[in-house]
Parts: sequence; C-alpha cells; structure tokens
Amino acid sequence: MKISTRQLLFFLACVAPVGKLILLPARLADAAQNDLLFPLLAHYLLQAGAVFLALLLARREESFTELLAHAFGRTGAAILSVLFALFLLFASLLPLLEQKLFVQNVFYDTLPAFIVYAPFFLFTAYVASKPLSSYGRVWDILAPLFLVGLAGILILSVGSSDFGAVAPAGAAGGSGFLKGVSSAFSWFFDAALLLPLLGKFRYTKGLAWKGALCYLAGGAAVIFFTAVFYGIFQGTAVNQLFGFTVTSKYFPGIAMLGRVDYLFIFLLALVMAFYNSMALQGSVECMLQAFGRKKYLPTVLSVIVSAGMLTAVTLLDRGFSDVLLGVGKWAFWIFPLFSVVVPALMLPLGRKRREAP
Amino acid sequence: MKNVAGDLNKTKEALKKLLPAEDILTFGFTSARGMEFCCVFADPITDKELLGEQVIRALSDYDGEAKAEEVAKKLTSPETKTEPSLEALADEVLLGNPVLLFAGMDAAVVVGTKKIFTRAISEPSTDVAVKGPREGFIEDFKTNTSLVRRRFKTGDLRIETSEVGKRSKTVVAVCYLDGIAPASAVEEVKKKLQEIEIDYIPDSSYLTHFLSSRPYSLVKQVGTTEKPDIFCAKLAEGRIGLLVDGSPIALTVPYLLIEDFQSSEDYFVPAYRATFTRLLRLFALIVAIYLPAFYIAAQLFKLQLFPIKLLLTISGSIRDIPFSPSLEMLLVLLVLEVLNEASIRMPKYVGMALSVVGALVLGETAVSAGFVSTPAIIIIAFSGIGLYAVPNLIEQTSVLRLAMLLIAGSVGTYGIILATAFIILYLVTTENFGTPLVAPYAPVVGSDLRDSLIKYNLGSLKQRPKTLRSPNRRRLA
Repeated sequence: MKISTRQLLFFLACVAPVGKLILLPARLADAAQNDLLFPLLAHYLLQAGAVFLALLLARREESFTELLAHAFGRTGAAILSVLFALFLLFASLLPLLEQKLFVQNVFYDTLPAFIVYAPFFLFTAYVASKPLSSYGRVWDILAPLFLVGLAGILILSVGSSDFGAVAPAGAAGGSGFLKGVSSAFSWFFDAALLLPLLGKFRYTKGLAWKGALCYLAGGAAVIFFTAVFYGIFQGTAVNQLFGFTVTSKYFPGIAMLGRVDYLFIFLLALVMAFYNSMALQGSVECMLQAFGRKKYLPTVLSVIVSAGMLTAVTLLDRGFSDVLLGVGKWAFWIFPLFSVVVPALMLPLGRKRREAP
Repeated sequence: MKNVAGDLNKTKEALKKLLPAEDILTFGFTSARGMEFCCVFADPITDKELLGEQVIRALSDYDGEAKAEEVAKKLTSPETKTEPSLEALADEVLLGNPVLLFAGMDAAVVVGTKKIFTRAISEPSTDVAVKGPREGFIEDFKTNTSLVRRRFKTGDLRIETSEVGKRSKTVVAVCYLDGIAPASAVEEVKKKLQEIEIDYIPDSSYLTHFLSSRPYSLVKQVGTTEKPDIFCAKLAEGRIGLLVDGSPIALTVPYLLIEDFQSSEDYFVPAYRATFTRLLRLFALIVAIYLPAFYIAAQLFKLQLFPIKLLLTISGSIRDIPFSPSLEMLLVLLVLEVLNEASIRMPKYVGMALSVVGALVLGETAVSAGFVSTPAIIIIAFSGIGLYAVPNLIEQTSVLRLAMLLIAGSVGTYGIILATAFIILYLVTTENFGTPLVAPYAPVVGSDLRDSLIKYNLGSLKQRPKTLRSPNRRRLA
C-alpha cells in the first residue's frame, strides 16, 4: 500500500491546518500585539518551502534512514533516525497538551478528570501499530470532513466578524512581527512529518510544487479563519483560547437551534485526533527504520511511545503555559532546525549518479 | 480405492459395507432374459417413481451385454454415467443418485433420479422491491443456478462446483463471468474454498468466515444477497458469486461497504431519487448509531448541545427518573433488542399481542410509572427505525450503537469522537481479495464515485468499477 499523490496533497491542504486553529490565533494575538496575520503568513511561506524540499527528497524513492545512510553509514543513520524520532516526540508534546486543554474545556461543561483524555493514547498506540502508509486512506476520509467542518464554522462565524479590525496590517512593526514569528514556531513542523513518509509514496511530476501550493492553500484557510477570529474578538482575542470553538457561538440561529456549530467542531476534533497522532507514528516509524522491522516491534514501540507521551502529558498537566512560554523563548529554534534545515541538508545526500550511456 | 467386481452380490455387500445406514436400500430385479440387476439408493432423497420408470421398466426386457456402457444406453434417464470406483459410487448414492449394479459388470451405472425438495420461488422478505424483479433464491442449488443462468445467455458465465465439508459434502458453486471477473480473485476464491476443513456447512454464512481476511472482525467482508437480479448485476460488475446448496443466501466477493447502501431498486428509479435514498440511508445509519450516544453525552457532560427549550423539556421529563441517563438509555435499548429478537422468532399470530405489550405496557406504562423518560423512548425508537434503513448491516450497527452508548456514558463526546476515529482507521485498513473495503472513498476512486452514495444516470456508468480490477472495464458503448 503506497500513499498516492492525491492523498498527500489532501494531508497538506486539509489535515495539516487543523492544528493551527486552537491556541495559535490567541497566542499570536498576544505575542504579535494583535498584528497576527503577517507572522502567520511568514510561517506558512517558510514551511511551504520546507514542504517543497521534503517532497523533493521523495525523488530518490528511499526511506528517511536509507537517505541518511548514504552519508553517515547504517549506524550513523540509525542514530540520526532515533534523534529525529525524539524530535517528533518533543514536537508532539505541545499539540498534545493543547489538545488536552481543548478537550477538557470544550467537550465538558465542568472541568473533567484528566482520565477523560487518556483514551486518546489508546488510539495513538493503535494508530502507531499500523503501517504509516495507511494514513493515505485516512486522509481521503478526513479531507472532506475538514472542509465541511471548517466551512461550517466559517459560515456561522463570518457574519459576526468585523474585518476592519485587522487593518492596518503590519501596524505592530518589526518587533511585533518578530515576536509573533518566534512564538509560533512550535506549531509549524509539518515538513518534518513528511520525512518518515519518504519511500512510502512515489514522486510524481511536479509533486513538490503541488505540495507546497496545497500547503499554502491550507495556510490561506488558516489565515482567513484567523482574520475572522480577530475580527470577532479584536482586543480580547488574547483570552479566546479555543479558536474555532468560540467564533461561531454568536451566530443568531444558535439561540434557537442550540450549539449546532458543535457538529462542525466535532468534525475538526476528529481530524485533529489523527493529525496529532501523526508525529507519534512518525517517531515509531523512524525507530523502526533504525532498529529494523521485527515481528512485534511496531506494536511494542507504539505502546511504549504512547505510554511515554501519556506520562509526559500527565506530568506537565498544570505547567502547559510555562512549557509553551519556555519553548517559545528558549527552544523555538529546534522546530525550524528539524523541519526546514534537515530537509535542506538532506537534499544533496545519496544523489544518484548519472549512469553512463 | 476399490472397484466394482463382476460378482453382483460381492459388489452389493461391499457397497453396503461402505453405506451401513438403514435408509440405504437395495432393490433387486431380473430382466425378462434372466439378467440380474440391483439398485442401491438412499431412500429419503431418491425419486423412486423416476427410478421405476426410467431404470427398472427400461431394463425389464434387457438382452444386451453385461457392460455398463450398454446398460446405460438402454436407460431412459437423461442423466447417467458409469463409475467403477466403489467409494465414488457410495458418494453418488449419498447425493441421491441410485447406483445400478448387475452381474458381470465392468462398472456400475449411476442414474440421476435425485428427489428434489423445493419451495416455490418467492420474494425475499429482507429485500423487498417495489419496482424491479421479485424473484428470490431458494434452498435448492439447481433452482438457484438456473435463476442465474437464465439471466446470462452467454458461455462466459462459469458455474464451477466443488464440495465443501468433510461430512456434509455441500455443493458450492463459484460463479463468475469469464473475462470480466479478475482471474486472480477467482483463483483466490477457489483456493480458499479448497483450504476449508470443516465437517458440515449448513448455510452460506459459514463460508463467510473462511473467505474473510479478518474472520473475527465485526466488519462484514463478504457481500450477501437473496435476489438473483442483484447477484447477476454484481457478477456483471466483475465480482465473484458463490451459491451454496441448501442456502437461499448467495455470497459475493470482493465486498465494498457501499454495497449495503445501494438497493436493486436504485437502478430502476431516476438517478436523483436513488441518490436521495442512498444519502437518506447513510443519514439513518449515522442517526441510529450516534443519536442515543450523543443524547447521553450531552445530558451527562455537555448540556450546551441542547437548545434551551429542548433542554427545559428534557429536564422536566427526567426529573423523577430513578436511573442515571446512561442506565436509563441502556434499559430502553435492552428492551428494544429483546422485543426485536422476540418478534423475529415469535409465531405471527402472537405478533399483534407482542406489539401491544411492547408499545403500551412497556412504553406507555414505563413512562407514566416514571421508570423511563419520554425522550429516551423517542430517541431509541428513532434509532431503532434508522437501523433498519440498512438491513444488511444490522448485526454490526446494533453492536456499534451499544458500544457508543457505553463510551458516551463513561467518557462523553470526546470518547465518541475517538471511537469514530478507531472505526475509520479500522475500516480503511481492511481489505479483502485485494479490494479496500471503503473504496471508492478511501482510497478515492473518481470514476467509481458515479455509483456510490451519489448515483449517476445509467448513461454515465460506462465502465465497470475500477476498484474491482476487471480486465474488461467497458460495459456500455
């Protein structure tokens, strides 16, 4: 089973954006002094470039570890793969904490016990035990769900938004822009998610361009949503932590129909469950490439990884804002290092020699 | 393997030794010229009238040689063959075909005078069509194959029979259209049938276990139908069908989940109507599985999901209920399942009484006694009706509904979402005979979407489904 070009493009356009719709708008509003669109655009442009590079790597039709092995040998490649797997686990931590906060606040009237979030790790263990290529078919299902979910939310929200509040864009100046950019790095590592998929899809003509453009199309949807979000909440956007769950509640029909917007929120939450499990599965895949695919190893590794992340999320349950600020301040460079620099550095690796005629 | 001997008595005894059952009878007679014959037959399944007419009367003045070929020519039965092996002869007797032995024989003659017990061809109760053919398969294998053969007047229709079941030796026919069904899938079906080691096959449903790639899965992996028109339509798409002797339910592989949202009538009504009803079936199924679960999750964890006026109505009706919402819903669901089970098995004349007991005593009285609330009854009733919109998936969906209810009662809406994610992943990773279960949606197969939940006009369905990998894709010029 190989991932098709269409499935990959569905992921970039319709699944990757979902992780940027919860805390990111409020976080950007805070860090970028309410001038949140330009930092978002900058991240999308940078990450689209990284996606372009990561997809170019697929031309070699080799896995991530095989590509590394050309330059560093089998042992070196295995070590680097494990290092990359650790990065993916680190990168998944904030989205998992964010999702936990989202689940506890949006799906329950009163703050429930932490245990309600624990079944998610059963799910990740199950997902990670499956071949990574099975995601392709999942994306086929998720893409329309995401489109319906986001379109529903936007239709219900857009009438309440005052787009005049977004202008003049760029008013916060260079410092606002830079603060905004540095605070949002932890949300942008989608190119890194593509690296474990190398070898599981075929490079077709123009895939890199198509991928980057689809990623930008998803980014356009996120930027539009962020504009709608800011247009609704304006100065209080900083306090609206759960982006797409709060914008639609001012729709006039809600009073009569109840929170029908929850149907769309549920759809996006479903897409998010898969999106947030990707880093974990990518990490398991990298470790499998490093250690070799033994009979029960995928299941064992997926259980270990999921249990480890459950423990980490439990330990950091109350320290989410500290972690978020700390990563934004001290460790933000790790994200572009692995998601932008690594694909760029890997481009010259293992280049096939031109065969003599 | 022993063969028949020239000595009639010795052969008869050897055959009786192989078939010691009391209902295996022998009948000896002598022709006018003094040649001795003996018929060995299974009493309950042999047509003795035909045997007398086509064998005994025909041989009454036999004066030819004691050779099986010669004797067979004298018989007036259209189905005869010669067989020297005793074991094969024993098998034929057990199939209902009498074996004719005679003095000095080189082989015995097998005569096809099997007694056929059939019921009349009728419309299957599970697949009623307002428009379109109303014939249904019955238990008789030959009738079923004739229903299929009648619809395909081409030599490309292959009906290849084999025996499955060490003791039942049930006849199973693999039906396909040569050049339309993919050869690899046909071979795989035959291989799987050959590998079955079981004593007894009472019904085609037994075979589904052996044909499934995940035999213990909740998810169905083999298509079923009771209607020959549907069966033939599936063969024409490139599927492989299986008819099992004694079963009115035919099997088809590869199976796609979407098949159960399509009905034969969809092809006899305008495309827009077919599309509407297919979407309606999907909606009904989603409602059937999720409505009770979301109702419970909303009551227990997220009251905001209800509009305020509905919330007031619900809170008024559940105020005095002694059970928790999830327990209340589980009880109502349990009652529905019991009523459902009882109504299927109960004699028809008791059905009316059961309806009265179910609707009035259990429903009305339970609400007025304050055991259960009216909304719970309405929700379960709606869910119960929704389940029957897709009758072929009832076994699966009723289990899923219960599972969702339990998850909703313990984890709430997020549990429902995670369970849905599990189901999606499980479904998309299920394949049988190399065909993804959820195609043409995952993976998306653009051309096959024309006959999925959305149905195009017949003129647009020029090609067979790509998912089925038919070597000849064009079906409409």
